[in-house]
Amino acid sequence: MNENRRQILEMLAAGKINANEAERLIAALESAPATPVAERSAGLPGGGTVKTRAKYLRVLVEAEPEMTGLKGTTSVNVRVPMQLLRAGVRLASLIPAQAHQQLDEALSRHGVPLALSQIKPENLEELIDHLEDLTVDVDSKDEGATKVRVFCE
Amino acid sequence: MIPNFAVIGIQTPEWHLPRLWVPLFLLWILLVVLSPLVFLVLAAAAIAVKTTIWRLIAVFWNLLSSLRGTDVQVVADGNRLLVKLL
Repeated sequence: MNENRRQILEMLAAGKINANEAERLIAALESAPATPVAERSAGLPGGGTVKTRAKYLRVLVEAEPEMTGLKGTTSVNVRVPMQLLRAGVRLASLIPAQAHQQLDEALSRHGVPLALSQIKPENLEELIDHLEDLTVDVDSKDEGATKVRVFCE
Repeated sequence: MIPNFAVIGIQTPEWHLPRLWVPLFLLWILLVVLSPLVFLVLAAAAIAVKTTIWRLIAVFWNLLSSLRGTDVQVVADGNRLLVKLL
């Protein structure tokens, strides 16, 4: 069972919400809007938030002409399915074991002390799952402002 | 399921291309025709990365299937590019 759905049913069982509120919350889960997961609220009593599983990673970049040297605002809007990130992680599992050491050394040389050989598929799954909580907002106030926003929806 | 259509839109200050719906499912025909060659390439790749060809096929199939829903929109210098995989 979906974790959010279970959470709603548990709240219903505990008497924290009534059947109508539970129904409304489940309906809200099923038609989740395209907003960052962290900002999503399904109308819990007391303004609580129900976390839904993110489907996409969204990257928005806006750069002013002073920054890029181009006419008008430059914008990039990329939506990547979370499933694609998971598939990419599985693709990394095809890296031969003997290449792991070389990769570890190369990463270490470039200041990333990460041992790929120590990372197991379940860790990577966990990493992707935690990306759902990620929201990055960069807003440069200098001349030639650039805005970067990364979030899951 | 792998993407069935790619929507491509290109717009420049001088001209504007109507949104193109590219039927990706037609690539299946090409894939069937080229399947012996594809199989050989995958077999060679499987030997190179020391895995089984089935695992390799599974990983690539998974990758292709997850492309659905990808959406890229870029606006720069009055030009606009849109690529959507449906």
